[in-house]
Amino acid sequence: MLFYSFFKSLVGKDVVIELKNDLSISGTLHSVDQYLNVKLTDVQVLDPEKYPHIQSVTSAFVRGSVIRYIQLPPDDVDTQLLQEATRKEITQPRKE
Amino acid sequence: MGDEGDQVATTTATSVEEPLDLVRLSLDEKVCVKMRNERELRGRLHAFDQHLNMILGDVEETITTIEIDEETFEQIYRPTKRQIPMLFVRGDGVILISPLSKQS
Amino acid sequence: MAQVLDAYVNKSVNVVTADGRIIIGTLRGFDQAINIILDDSHERVFSSTDGVEQVLLGLYIIRGDNVALIGEIDEELDKTIDFSRIRADPLPVAKT
Repeated sequence: MLFYSFFKSLVGKDVVIELKNDLSISGTLHSVDQYLNVKLTDVQVLDPEKYPHIQSVTSAFVRGSVIRYIQLPPDDVDTQLLQEATRKEITQPRKE
Repeated sequence: MGDEGDQVATTTATSVEEPLDLVRLSLDEKVCVKMRNERELRGRLHAFDQHLNMILGDVEETITTIEIDEETFEQIYRPTKRQIPMLFVRGDGVILISPLSKQS
Repeated sequence: MAQVLDAYVNKSVNVVTADGRIIIGTLRGFDQAINIILDDSHERVFSSTDGVEQVLLGLYIIRGDNVALIGEIDEELDKTIDFSRIRADPLPVAKT
């Protein structure tokens, strides 16, 4: 739930999603769900010459399982808060 | 009662009983993450979960492509590097995490 | 939690499959697992030597596991694209 909550706090910010098929798309984070499926608005492909495949796409739903990386706006990430949340999440007794 | 709760919290925070406890010790430290498809990341570990989803700061990614020389048939390893200030990494691509010592 | 796809229902969408294919169609429905129903669908086959080939498919139900991305198409923009002039390698497989 840590990353779900984290990404909810980033809604409205600009990110770059790099997919496992090497496609990179930038856009504004519109929403995220518990599987880390992500919806972006104002979508732009980073290398449109090489990847014209989705050039008329304006907003996109990306399945969480095909995401490799998400580049984040560093100024909108509270690293102190993240570390505390990680320690809390990981020390919780695990539910079987 | 409150003391007992604190006791449990401190022991679980310092003891190493399973692999993820070791990853926890690397929080706020520089780590090296080996990924699938010949990718390697170096950066500061800010967050992770049980899937090894992670957030790394000041990341350097190295992608190694292997080319074969057409004349000598030698394998040429070509590393390409890039810098990413803040990066979320999905855990399913992670092969291993290794703490980097302070000097490297 | 895939309700964000509600916004795409009865709209023209561009689906990127996990094996790198591009399928265009009208989104008629979806479920939790991102299984989707595409009406009047066709595939856009990209090639580095020829223009984009459009292959009619009809009514398609795509299993969620094989969906990488669902993009909303700007139909006005899409109409202005001359697909016969576009040269690009097909998208690679989204390797897990």
